[in-house]
Amino acid sequence: MSTRTRALTPALTAAAALLATLAVAAALLALGGYPPGDAFAALFRGAFGTWDRFVSFTLVRATPLLLTGLAVALAFKARVWNIGAEGQLHAGALAAVAVAVALPGAPGFLVIPATLLAAAAAGALWASAPAAMKTGMGVGEVITTLLMNFVALFMAQFLVQGPLRESRGVFNQTDEIPPAAHLPDLVPGTRLHLGFLIGILIAIALWLYLTRTPGGFRLRAVGASPQAAEVSGRFRAQPVVWLAFLASGAIAGLAGGVQVAGVTHRMYEGLSPGWGYTAIAVALLARLNPLAVVVTAIVFGALSAGGGAMQRDAGVPEVWVRGIEALVILAVLTVDRSWQALASRGSRG
Amino acid sequence: MMDRGRGLLRTAALFLSIAAAACGADPAADSGQPAVALLTAGPVSDAGWYAGAYEGLQLIGDSLGFRVSHQQTRTPAEFDEAFISYAESGYGLIFGHGFEYQDAASRAGEMYPDVTFVVSSGSRSSANVVPIIFGLHEASYLAGMAAGSVTQSGTVGMVGGVEIPSAKGTFIAFEAGVKAVMPDAVVLETFIGSWDDVSAAKEAAAAQLRQGADVLIHNVDAASFGVFQAVREAREGGRTAWAFGMNRDQNDVAPDVILGSAAINIPTIFLQTALDWRAGTLSGPTITGLAGGSVEFVPNPAHEGVIPAQALSRIDEARASILAGTLDVPAIDFLEPAAGESPSS
Repeated sequence: MSTRTRALTPALTAAAALLATLAVAAALLALGGYPPGDAFAALFRGAFGTWDRFVSFTLVRATPLLLTGLAVALAFKARVWNIGAEGQLHAGALAAVAVAVALPGAPGFLVIPATLLAAAAAGALWASAPAAMKTGMGVGEVITTLLMNFVALFMAQFLVQGPLRESRGVFNQTDEIPPAAHLPDLVPGTRLHLGFLIGILIAIALWLYLTRTPGGFRLRAVGASPQAAEVSGRFRAQPVVWLAFLASGAIAGLAGGVQVAGVTHRMYEGLSPGWGYTAIAVALLARLNPLAVVVTAIVFGALSAGGGAMQRDAGVPEVWVRGIEALVILAVLTVDRSWQALASRGSRG
Repeated sequence: MMDRGRGLLRTAALFLSIAAAACGADPAADSGQPAVALLTAGPVSDAGWYAGAYEGLQLIGDSLGFRVSHQQTRTPAEFDEAFISYAESGYGLIFGHGFEYQDAASRAGEMYPDVTFVVSSGSRSSANVVPIIFGLHEASYLAGMAAGSVTQSGTVGMVGGVEIPSAKGTFIAFEAGVKAVMPDAVVLETFIGSWDDVSAAKEAAAAQLRQGADVLIHNVDAASFGVFQAVREAREGGRTAWAFGMNRDQNDVAPDVILGSAAINIPTIFLQTALDWRAGTLSGPTITGLAGGSVEFVPNPAHEGVIPAQALSRIDEARASILAGTLDVPAIDFLEPAAGESPSS
């Protein structure tokens, strides 16, 4: 088989997969009585239609996915299966609100760093319990991090109904954080806040760390094979696992802090629609490359923002939109796998 | 690694180009026709709170010929986005159906002074941000009187979603209604922490039934199906048990178990709001109740006779007293005093 033919096959697969998925989505929409052209046009316009749509909607929605996606990518890189970004995000959001509300008169340059540091610390703290159980007792972190999510969700519910409830005592939400604690706008005139830039900077820092430093090399070595890393005698795996847990938890916690300080300005039940879980898809699609997470988080943010427009402009109900979103994600994953195969064959041939 | 990165970018580019190909003309362009939008935080298939709002939106579209659109939002972070999108697309009247839209509506109200934002069970009022207070507690009180007159065990139950003032208020009134006809009745209350978790609602209802309750009312959205199912199963087990509907006339949702509903006529209120808005006379807050027929206790005609005639006449008397202002139904007032009452310059 010639190189050309071998290279062509995955490309055809990719195109076929994408077209087939879009056709299925279009057929489903048509069956439901929603013109597919209008629906897809609305999806695209909602996400990319204007500069403001892209910045204020897509990038704002991408921000928590970017941070939690980075948290998951870093942990997975070290073979730490942190399924707990959702809980760490909630812990971070709660800590951020508690600190910001407790500092009503403080200027922004003090209260914003304090808020975000508290969020990161709370996320790391939340991740430290599964870390201790894994390194100390060998308890699998898939279960422990997952269960810690529920603890965090119920803790958030308890706190907004009780100790952190707004001083007016009417609704199950915290007080609004003082204006000085609001993250400044990144692009004037849009809703995009500093949190997106923080996400980009962390992505670059993580990429440099993983590819350019001995610590990053050790982390990847442990991720590749913890036993081999130990046997080689150069270093112990446990501190690396701890580092991965804590750093991952801190970044996920920061996601919660950034969301509260940048968008919602208070905490309530149901802050996150499951960003910590979507983050796993974001990270895997980026193949755990921090720089690629920026791209995949924006793709997921665009799908989410476009889904809103699909409801508004094409009248497609929410459950349909979520189904279509899932199909498009499947299509992108399939296409991506095919490209990957293409790239690896190409480099070998 | 670099190859992979490029592959990913190519994937994204391919996805975008196909999406772009599907992109036609912008239908949201202003056609000059008044446009009304609705945001709900749950599915409009709940046969209750959200279904009523959706019917209201359709009524506005059908009877006034306005352009209408609906979006279900998942998280409060999406509220701002939805308000802004609709305001930018030329929608002049935007309903946020639930107290949770208040903050976002107030923010959007400042950004778009020419757009009117209506918040159901809202708490803050300004020139273009209008709360609607439904006064459902008045109908809930009458439902409580009916419940107190049919319970045989002397125990009735209430299953709520999230403990918010508008929901809590209907329960306080329901309990008062029960005790008005049966002073030593036991009234159980459970909030399940969710509006649409059907199985949690069913569990909570079943627990109340086990504790001896034989009449249940709910204030949840899509989760109400769980309450009705629990009552249905108790009846299949040979017990006498009844449910009451809430927020919308739900008598036909589970006609076998629903004895009556404390209903808001949301479509009519929405239609009136749209008419006032077009006439330029909409200024908040809009407070409705039994007066004007905005809320009502509706016995289920399928079970005529179960509520004793004597009880029905007492309910009618109570309704007349409420309308006459001689009977104060306990309520929770969550409307904030209007800010900045100073005359505008």
